[in-house]
Amino acid sequence: MRGVWTGLILLVVFCLPLHGEDSPDGYLKTVKPLLHERCLACHGALKQEGNLRLDTAASMRLGGDSGPAIVSGDLTASHLLERVSSSDASARMPPEGEPLKPDEIEAIRDWIMSGATGPENEQPEADPRSHWSFQAVRSPRLPERVATRSLNPVDAILDARREAAGVTLVAEADRATWLRRVTLDLVGLPPTRDDLHAFLADTSPDAAERVVDRLLADPRYGERWGRHWMDVWRYSDWYGRRSVPDVMNSYPQIWRWRDWIVKSLNADAPYNDMARDMLAADELKPGDDTAVVATGFLVRNWFKWNYEQWMKDNVEHTGKAFLGMTMNCAHCHDHKYDPISHEDYFRFRAFFEPLELRQDRVPGLPDPGPFKKYVYAQSYGPIAHGMIRVFDEKPDAPTYMYLKGDNRNRIPDKPPVTAGIPSLFASQMPQVAAIELPAEAQYPGLREFIRREERAKITAELATARANLEVQQSLNAQANEIRLAAQPVADAIPSAAAIVAAEQEARRVLLPMAATTRKVEEAEARLASLEARIAADDARYRGQGDPAVLTARAHAAEKFAALAAARLRRATALTNLAALTAANATDAEHQKKLAAATAEQTAAIAAEAEAEKQSTVPGETYTPLSPQYPATTTGRRAALAQWIGSDTNPLTPRVAVNHIWRHHFGRGIVETPSNFGRQGRQPSHPELLDWLSAELIRTGWSMKAIHRQMVLSAAYRMRSDAGNESHTAGKIDPDNRLYWRFNQQRLEAEVIRDSLLAASGQLDETMGGHEIDYAQGLKVPRRSLYFTIHGEAQMEFLDTFDGPSVVDCYERSASVRPQQALALSNNELVAAQANALASRLATEIPASGEVSQTDGRFIQAVFEQILGRAPSTEELGVSLTFLSGERELALAGTAAAQGAVPVEQAEAASRVSLVHVLFNHNDFVTVR
Amino acid sequence: MPLMSRCCSRRNRRTFLADVGLGFTGLSLGSMLFRDGVIRASETGVPDGLPLRDPPAKRVIWIFLSGGVSHLETFDPKPLLNEYAGKTYDETPHQNPQKLPIFLERSRSVVGFDRDVVSKIMPLNVGYQKRGELGVEVTDWLPYLGQVVDDLCIVRSMYTTDNDHGAEFQFHTGRHTLDEQQPTIGSWISYGLGTANQNLPEFVFLGQYKDTRVKKDFAADYLGPGYAGVELSLDPANPLPFGRALEGKTPDRQRREFELVNKLNRITAVEYPDDADLRARIESYELAYRMQMSAPEALDLSQETAETQGLYGIDDETTAIYGRRLLTARRLAERGVRFTLVYLSDYGEWDSHSNIKELHARSCKRVDKPLAGFIADLKRRGLLDDTLVVCATEFGRTPGLEITSFNKAGTGRDHHPHGFTVWMAGGGLKRGCVHGATDEFGFHAVEHPHYVTDIHATVLHQLGLDSRKLEIPGRKRLDVDHGQVIREILA
Repeated sequence: MRGVWTGLILLVVFCLPLHGEDSPDGYLKTVKPLLHERCLACHGALKQEGNLRLDTAASMRLGGDSGPAIVSGDLTASHLLERVSSSDASARMPPEGEPLKPDEIEAIRDWIMSGATGPENEQPEADPRSHWSFQAVRSPRLPERVATRSLNPVDAILDARREAAGVTLVAEADRATWLRRVTLDLVGLPPTRDDLHAFLADTSPDAAERVVDRLLADPRYGERWGRHWMDVWRYSDWYGRRSVPDVMNSYPQIWRWRDWIVKSLNADAPYNDMARDMLAADELKPGDDTAVVATGFLVRNWFKWNYEQWMKDNVEHTGKAFLGMTMNCAHCHDHKYDPISHEDYFRFRAFFEPLELRQDRVPGLPDPGPFKKYVYAQSYGPIAHGMIRVFDEKPDAPTYMYLKGDNRNRIPDKPPVTAGIPSLFASQMPQVAAIELPAEAQYPGLREFIRREERAKITAELATARANLEVQQSLNAQANEIRLAAQPVADAIPSAAAIVAAEQEARRVLLPMAATTRKVEEAEARLASLEARIAADDARYRGQGDPAVLTARAHAAEKFAALAAARLRRATALTNLAALTAANATDAEHQKKLAAATAEQTAAIAAEAEAEKQSTVPGETYTPLSPQYPATTTGRRAALAQWIGSDTNPLTPRVAVNHIWRHHFGRGIVETPSNFGRQGRQPSHPELLDWLSAELIRTGWSMKAIHRQMVLSAAYRMRSDAGNESHTAGKIDPDNRLYWRFNQQRLEAEVIRDSLLAASGQLDETMGGHEIDYAQGLKVPRRSLYFTIHGEAQMEFLDTFDGPSVVDCYERSASVRPQQALALSNNELVAAQANALASRLATEIPASGEVSQTDGRFIQAVFEQILGRAPSTEELGVSLTFLSGERELALAGTAAAQGAVPVEQAEAASRVSLVHVLFNHNDFVTVR
Repeated sequence: MPLMSRCCSRRNRRTFLADVGLGFTGLSLGSMLFRDGVIRASETGVPDGLPLRDPPAKRVIWIFLSGGVSHLETFDPKPLLNEYAGKTYDETPHQNPQKLPIFLERSRSVVGFDRDVVSKIMPLNVGYQKRGELGVEVTDWLPYLGQVVDDLCIVRSMYTTDNDHGAEFQFHTGRHTLDEQQPTIGSWISYGLGTANQNLPEFVFLGQYKDTRVKKDFAADYLGPGYAGVELSLDPANPLPFGRALEGKTPDRQRREFELVNKLNRITAVEYPDDADLRARIESYELAYRMQMSAPEALDLSQETAETQGLYGIDDETTAIYGRRLLTARRLAERGVRFTLVYLSDYGEWDSHSNIKELHARSCKRVDKPLAGFIADLKRRGLLDDTLVVCATEFGRTPGLEITSFNKAGTGRDHHPHGFTVWMAGGGLKRGCVHGATDEFGFHAVEHPHYVTDIHATVLHQLGLDSRKLEIPGRKRLDVDHGQVIREILA
């Protein structure tokens, strides 16, 4: 068995079809693998350059256009040998990569001399299109036991394989272990002591099911699995040149997509629907902002400096994330392993060619303004308050094919390609048809909230202006009083200084009157203009009223508002100038201001005259309430999304359930989750993959249904150790390919951090919103997925525990290294949680009886809270010894420099130490 | 380096070897992961951990000057620039280098902008003379390096393909920004060789930056964060991330806590005897403790004499910062750190689009004495014999002066990927050599042109590694990633 598995792995890794290993001629051992690796991409089932195939000895003898490739015993007549050993680089094969090495050529030579025979019945390489993952999903017939013994279908399939291999399961894990496993798996946080006690006390047969249902209904499920899918879908906050700041990759408002992921998962949104929305919600659900935000999947790939790169990433990661297809390998040439042509690559790219970004206004937030397009040598920082999304801006943008992966090498005379899925699946290609967009999608300014908020803004300004006017009017009376008061004097001595002063004062008080009045008029005009524009919008886009009349009216109202604004400007200029003139100062600063105010007055007068003139010119335009976008979208991505989300797509459901499986079981059924092609690994359990895929489709693509099937299986209940000496499974299947035990896993970085906070009770469970600066990661107790992560950096603590790469994270590594020990021991966050938990437990477990009894209860509680299980007798013993030892040292004054400490303090400090130690326990960062 | 790494795409090579049944399974972790030796390149097959030959270099100190150093005003001065100053290339009797096909081939713009297309030749901003026994032309901005030039191996024929600062990351990964990203040279070495000292990280970054993109120079990409460079601060009191005990925690108390951690872990290990991760975790705590205790000593420059400090210019404000970094790098090399990336500039410091005369003179002054002192110090301690020093930049600067619609100053040189200089020293290379050449303008690398991965290949070769043996299943590396060893400069 071991040999078989080793063979299988070798086969997959090197793609060497080793059928028999004892071939006397060395053909199977050396020559065939060599040809497979270096030659078969062009001379095999995928392609037959020069009509030559090198996948069997027979086909080599038959040869191609240049005659036989090999002639038994005749080195000179064997073209193969001649071509691989040619010193002329242009004639030498293979044309790419290094020439074959002398010993490799020697092996071919030896084989030719020894007869050049292959094994009997040597089969040619299979048609690449017949590769398993390209075939329709077929739900396997399950053993009858499934129906008769209510056996979980997952177990039925696994059992059958184990039985055939003579492998038996290890024992089931204890219930506490299962609870911790399933809780961490589904919500990314450890069970609380209460959870543990409740579950251990619940002896009903459906206790486990109820736990699973509770966890799946828990909103923290969406956060946990959101992070998994964020890996696959490459979530990243904006980056580029953060220090400038200059947004170049992804976009500041991208967190809305993250929140969409979390919410969708919690709502158990169908997987295929999610996939469709991420690719084309703007086409499929236009006007539905809650869905359109999903196109963050494409926004994330955006690269301001170079749209070629954006297109490349869209192709590569749509292919890998949803289809497990390495489309990217066909960027420069036909795919070397899969039936994907160079042209297929560009046809796939054409789905995305018309793309551009736009940022829409969000209710309750300021208008972010139009999306800023790239201008060389200009940078801009984050605009954080809109909703970023994609749209088709350039419906006619051609997709040209180019060579060597460099768009400067466009293939001459080759017309642009049209959008299409890989020709392998040509029959499944949905129709691409342009889609008419609802008015509100092409013109967000029609939305009620924008009108409401615009109205409210001006109305508020108007109210303020009117209030100011009232104040000013009361000042009128005051001015009159000043004049009246001076009147007796004026009557007596008309030129008295007091009168001049009174008049000056009255004028000063009255001075703002004109501007204040104008401000009211201006706000009124602006409001009228807004209403007129809204009325015109309604006429033009909703057929309410006569568009021509209302447009003309909106034009006039807007021009009138401009005039009112010009009048206000002039009145303000006058006021300012008069105030400066009256101020009677002579210093240089004052002169400068005076000059500026004079100039402004001149300009304002001119502007008013111009506005006056304009206000009488009729017109057919007015300023829209928002940017406007094309009325139609190409429907290209909608077609792609329909294909990817179709119930008959052979790849989408398999790729999806494989991702879910690998998170639950620590390893994919296909171990290359982003490559289901011929170079990827074979599924370890094809029937299981297909059954789960069929089940996903049958349940309306419900991921929660699939989780349920997986975590309620017997396979998921097994212990993670290899069993005792007499258990033979480990000898037959040491890599546990047959799932005879559970694969223990190290927790992901985020789960470690979140678990620290949850165990101490300090976790802030607020969901969603703007990303939080990762520099706050050791202080702010929010869940880790809410902190900034991008192509330039992430939280150091998360990085230390193999946090995700935002560039490519179809799988994470799980290393063990000394820096992790430091990050858990010398870490203020961990220390704070240790303190918090120790003091919390101190209040929950009041001292009673002997100190060691209190200690015992404390130790029990800490183990339960941090490791989700009770301590063993031995663990209890060493922990007790530790606590008393620490205490003695503290009391004796030898542990701390400052000398002996009071008993209570020594007890508290020793317990904090113990909590800190358990946060460093291997099993705190491990799912057993 | 991780003691254990379980994954598929970011595959631990050793795990992979175990998977395919080549005999690593069951070896004790201690002997597998912490040999004080190296895995040598074998002629056939995957590395087997058995030394085939003694590699000339045991460690690398990789110095990077960010922003693009003018090769013309450091190690590759060209008299023709003075002769034709103010003329366009077409106005000289020589071939216009911008009209050669390699002009476009070696310059792939990320930002959609071709540089230096109609520029006038800028004269040299500094004089130069022949230095050392070899008579190598070095400019007067580098008087100290001029004195050690006979210990350097200068490659004057480098080129790269990005005409913007993505070239910096390209210098470390071997790939253009627009191509699929790869691990950096430091992480490959860390991956291929493992550690020579369990108490220190084997791949260290020394430097400071505000622009976090600098992290790309020491990232590990698909090898996993365990192979990325570890940033050491120069402060012995707080040398590495999470490297200092929390306030109020005495070393004794921390030791007792670590002991309890492992006592408890060992109890669990009895229950899970097959759990290799758990065994690695136990070892990681022992290592962590030692690392925390020994890192401060490694960084403590006060142990160095005043004379040594002076050699590196630590006694002078201008040179003190970079001098400290280089002296620290030497101390780390002595303690077995495999690969130290010394970032000997601010991010983009050398990017002199205008005022090149002042800016380059200032930057040269900041690095000249420390670098020369560093070479001299390595030499006198015998460290240069088996320590390979690389001093690089992402590209050179244009022979023409820069004038564009947004930079009208005309006092600087633009980015120049077509030809630039990198120098190396020690580690089994020739002492005192000049290899390759640019054309008469210093424009194209024409004689023995070398792409950046040729430097990688040379470094790996001197360490006894063959990058083709470091292939990761499922990750396609191209010929260009492996580069060609520059055999002409090997001793």
